Amino acid sequence: MTHDMAIAGERVTLHAQRALFWPARRMLMVADVHFGKGAVFRRAGIAVPSGDTEDDIERLDGLIATFSPDTLMVLGDLVHGDATERSAWVARVRAWRARHPAIDIQLIAGNHDRHFDVASLGIAVRPQRLRVAPFVLAHHPERHDAGYTLAGHVHPGATVRDGWRKHRLPAFVFDRDVGTLPAFGTLTGLHDVKPEPGRRIVVATPAGLVPLR
Amino acid sequence: MPTSSTTSAAWRRAEARLVAWFATQGRRPAPFQRAAWRAWRDGQNGLIHAPTGTGKTLAAVGGPLIDAALRPQTGLQLLWITPLRSLATDTAQHLSAAVDAMELPWRVLRRTGDSGSAERAKLRRGACELLVTTPESLALLLSYPDGRERFARLRGIVVDEWHELIGNKRGTLLQLGLARLRHWLPELRTWGLSATLGNLDEALHALAGDGVLIGGGAAKKTLIETALPEAGERFPWAGHLGLSQLPRVLDAVLGARSSLVFANTRSQAELWHEALSSVWPESPPTLALHHGSIDPKLRFATEEGLRVGALRCVVATSSLDLGVDFSSVERVVQIGSPKSVARLLQRAGRSGHQPGMPSRILCVPTHLLELAEIAAARHALETGHLEPRRPMRGCLDVLAQHLLTMALGGGFDADDAYREITSSLAYAQLPRERFDAVLFYLQTGGSALASYPEYQKLVRTGDRYHVDSGRIARMHRLSIGTITSDGTLAVRYMKGARLGTVEESFVSRLRPGDRFLFAGRHLELVRVRDMTAYVRAAPNRRGGVPRWMGGRMPLSGELSDELRDTLAGGGTGSAEMRALRPLLAVQENHSSIPEPGDTLCERTRTREGDYLFVFPFAGRLAHEGLAAVLAYRLARLQPGDYGYAVNDYGLTITAARMPVLDAETMRRLLHPWGLRADIRASVNLSELARRQFREIARVAGLVFNGYPAQGKTLRQLQASSGLLFDVLRRHDPDHPLLWQAEREVLDQQLDYSRLRACLLRVARSRVLWHETKRLSPLAFPLWVERLRGGIAMDDWKSRVERMLASLEAGADE
Repeated sequence: MTHDMAIAGERVTLHAQRALFWPARRMLMVADVHFGKGAVFRRAGIAVPSGDTEDDIERLDGLIATFSPDTLMVLGDLVHGDATERSAWVARVRAWRARHPAIDIQLIAGNHDRHFDVASLGIAVRPQRLRVAPFVLAHHPERHDAGYTLAGHVHPGATVRDGWRKHRLPAFVFDRDVGTLPAFGTLTGLHDVKPEPGRRIVVATPAGLVPLR
Repeated sequence: MPTSSTTSAAWRRAEARLVAWFATQGRRPAPFQRAAWRAWRDGQNGLIHAPTGTGKTLAAVGGPLIDAALRPQTGLQLLWITPLRSLATDTAQHLSAAVDAMELPWRVLRRTGDSGSAERAKLRRGACELLVTTPESLALLLSYPDGRERFARLRGIVVDEWHELIGNKRGTLLQLGLARLRHWLPELRTWGLSATLGNLDEALHALAGDGVLIGGGAAKKTLIETALPEAGERFPWAGHLGLSQLPRVLDAVLGARSSLVFANTRSQAELWHEALSSVWPESPPTLALHHGSIDPKLRFATEEGLRVGALRCVVATSSLDLGVDFSSVERVVQIGSPKSVARLLQRAGRSGHQPGMPSRILCVPTHLLELAEIAAARHALETGHLEPRRPMRGCLDVLAQHLLTMALGGGFDADDAYREITSSLAYAQLPRERFDAVLFYLQTGGSALASYPEYQKLVRTGDRYHVDSGRIARMHRLSIGTITSDGTLAVRYMKGARLGTVEESFVSRLRPGDRFLFAGRHLELVRVRDMTAYVRAAPNRRGGVPRWMGGRMPLSGELSDELRDTLAGGGTGSAEMRALRPLLAVQENHSSIPEPGDTLCERTRTREGDYLFVFPFAGRLAHEGLAAVLAYRLARLQPGDYGYAVNDYGLTITAARMPVLDAETMRRLLHPWGLRADIRASVNLSELARRQFREIARVAGLVFNGYPAQGKTLRQLQASSGLLFDVLRRHDPDHPLLWQAEREVLDQQLDYSRLRACLLRVARSRVLWHETKRLSPLAFPLWVERLRGGIAMDDWKSRVERMLASLEAGADE
């Protein structure tokens, strides 16, 4: 379920549940969680079943149990849209936060996060980027002189051939200066990324990771 | 209706006025027209079937007009439903002429999705006696609380081109609309106009319950000609473009005053239009293109050009199959097989409108085997072997949409609504549980969403269901209709003129600066913004042609049967079959030509893989189901990963390693025993239901295409139906719309009844088994088909192992 690799000289562990763990700092990173996306749909009269938030929380708990991180860093878009008083997902997320008092949970604010006061969930909100050498943690995958960017936002995915079939899967993408994490949330789409020289792509399947060349 | 109060002498006097009008044009009412008028007088429902251009419109409208002259009234009297928006204008003009002739003070209006706001406003004030509209616009009218009032004085409905609606969900939607109106107005008369069908009784039943069938018009002779390959000409074994036949088509087109060239898909029409343009010897504006994705304004312009005879040639798709007659059209060309006898007849009928002239159609095969299809189609036509169009039954997505319409149009009581809905043929056998499940879904979103406070479409107060939220009402009205475009983008010049729509998936592959062919123009993409692809004219084409979903039409069952017999007859009889003789000799040499009662199976190992071919000649749809079942059974015989492809003649299955096969094993693999269970298992494993779900989700209001000109703000609401399908499958497997998806896959996509009949036939037949060194002429077109799907008896773990292994192997090379 995991795959180790070196990024900017640091050893990191990718996990098939679409997360990255940085052992040196005991930091677990995920991007684009989009909590409450199902609720936004339902409020608009589009019948998405509930359960997306529970699933995502369950997967986060599994990752926390696996890595015991000191810090959980969300690289933007923790929430999808605004919430109302009746939004059940807010209570669930708050309860989840309370279950992990020892973990420092931080969010690099993404474009979706402006819809909701994330700090009210007990999660520290960071500015657009945060330097933790040798990395720059950000939401938008842009090059920074201060270090190697780790980001989200684009929901990268890649297509892998498997005999007569093709599978379209979420993927980690590492370029020379920028690395992009796949979207963590259940209800998220994919943006296709093409292989290029110097680009490392690792696709995430429900049963493990497949590094492409 | 008060036939008693209408004395027949008064009726005859009023009728005489109509007959006099006929006389001013040098015509006399045909017996079937008079019969239809009298049947209307007697308060009957009915279906008028006759070829195009024989006066069906006047047959249907005559009765209501005479009636109106006798019993004048203001307010909406007659509703005229037409399947095509583009027909509405013409029909309205045609009907107005008859109204004027009867000196009736009737106002004739049309209301379609294309109507301008002035027309809509006039209509809202209730200012017309005759309304020409589409099934979707009728549904929209029913969704307003004053719907019942608006239709209070309605005496009758005429459904034009009912054969175009009967077999699809638009027809289902219309049946529900008619049930609504009949429930309000028990005396309402319902009439339909139809081309000849294989199942006219059923068509009448679906439209009107009971009534009279009135046939009319002298049978017009139809001549089918074929562009035969010349001796020694290299003609492809596979393909579907047929551009090598360009010189022959150009000759045919230039030999007539005005021609229609029919293609089977929009992409094919674009490419043929481009090809003809490149060799067009006359002024460029005399050649035009017409298909369903081109902007209505441009389409109207083309139709107008045909009407006034300004166009020499129009390349079209089924968008011009029906509609008004263009008397200037002398020649019809069909590119590729027409795939159905009825379609061939209809397209041929677009030419030769002068009395006594036969309809002529030139068929242009795109590959050799299509010669046999053309020969088979001619034989079917000669023996009157036409396709039926079966009404769809029990579509839950349309039901969900209609229930919301009823809720908006004044609310409903569940028991009354169930009675009303089951009074239509489409839902006559709908079990109450299923009705309740749909109602429950609309109320709560289904069991996974039960009591979710943010989701409520229908609200129940006492016994009545209604809609509370203005937003849901607005969204519903915007997405009414069953045929909606799937994620389409408008194509527009930077200066503003709209060209039409293309699918999002096509545009998403383009970058600014890329060129493509659309609406017969070479275009360059400038940018995509707010669901619009902005383009500018490009000097030439480097890039592709959009492909639209919907794909290719399957060979009809009737034509498949004919084809099997025609091929078994070998190279005898028609000129087409004589031209096909050399190819059939190659087939005989490599393998064999199946006699009636034979099932041919071939196996060929090529460098690319191991291929099994089976040729049941049962049409693309049944083959798709059969391929899934066969792949599933092969996987049970020997676990592995089986992909398949199909065409109208047969199917192929490919695998890295095939089990040992022979005639006896094939007989067992193709046995009908356990078909239902196997197809369920194989369909569950494949993507079919997921694909089918796209349309269902849209029709039922599960996904929403967005407000017009407001695409941007709703970006966060865009969900793919595939994602919804996966989530529903996991959390709410009993959701009525999942059930609907599976049923549609079985009934339509896999044509279950035909599939079963096909296997029963195979069980009685002799299995011919050939291991061929090279692909046979029958196998070759299948080999070049794209894989449609497959069965994989594996899980993600083994997939990952396989992908890792193949990536490593690739790296070693």
